[in-house]
Amino acid sequence: MALGAAVVPVTGCDLLDRGDDGPPPPDPLEPVAAEAAALEARYRAAITAAPDLAGRLTPIADAHRAHAEELRRVIGRPAPSGTPAVAPSTAGTDPAALLSALSGAEQQGRKNAAQACAAAPADRAALLGSIAAARATHLEALK
Amino acid sequence: MTARTTPSPGPAQALADALAAEYAAIWAYGVIGVHLAGTQRTAARAAEAAHRARRDTLVVQLSEAGGQVPADRAGYALPYPVTDRASALRLAVEIEHRAAGHWRAALAHTTGADRNRALAALTDCALRATRWRRAAGLTPVTVAFPGRPG
Repeated sequence: MALGAAVVPVTGCDLLDRGDDGPPPPDPLEPVAAEAAALEARYRAAITAAPDLAGRLTPIADAHRAHAEELRRVIGRPAPSGTPAVAPSTAGTDPAALLSALSGAEQQGRKNAAQACAAAPADRAALLGSIAAARATHLEALK
Repeated sequence: MTARTTPSPGPAQALADALAAEYAAIWAYGVIGVHLAGTQRTAARAAEAAHRARRDTLVVQLSEAGGQVPADRAGYALPYPVTDRASALRLAVEIEHRAAGHWRAALAHTTGADRNRALAALTDCALRATRWRRAAGLTPVTVAFPGRPG
């Protein structure tokens, strides 16, 4: 059930009551949204490195973007400034190496989304479940 | 984590709906398998077995919860005639998408181990839909939000 960074905001409740200074606590969906954006960036970089993969990878990159946008909508505020852009993988231009690196990132993303789904309130569970399932299908599409 | 436990239509109804979808999937794969050959027929049999396993688990789960366990129907109306490989693959994609939708809906009505089971079922349906889409030559082989209506 541990969600790493996502657990931190619990202590922020008192701050909310004061209501004035200080940023609101981060939404537990932030790490999932950031990961979706990072996954999209990885796919776009892979497509640039190996354009022959574009047909296979573009729909997946688009799905990650759709996930990030939907998560952002549910969070209800813009992405925190200074969100670190994850460096694209250094898999070079070899298609097999690129696909393998993407698989590793999807595997991790699937696990994180499933954990977020397990911990989410009812009104967010379906979205996170769809994202976890989508990432599983991406792994299948990369095979 | 807190979760609102009894939003309408309620967990029992959500799981009963998932069970109805599993019944329909099992029935449909009987029709689908007839029109497939080789590895695809094998995959259809495996998919049918997976839906049977989900059905059995749901029947036990709903019985233990003391709720009503909906019965299977004798038959189902096909959305279109399934007469060949192409229409069989198309139905397989649709059946998995439909079942995925019911499992996705169950996520909001479950917590803990029950939710994890619903997520595993949603994911399995989405994976099979992707494999059937690939077998049917459909692109892309994935959808952005598996199980989401529309």
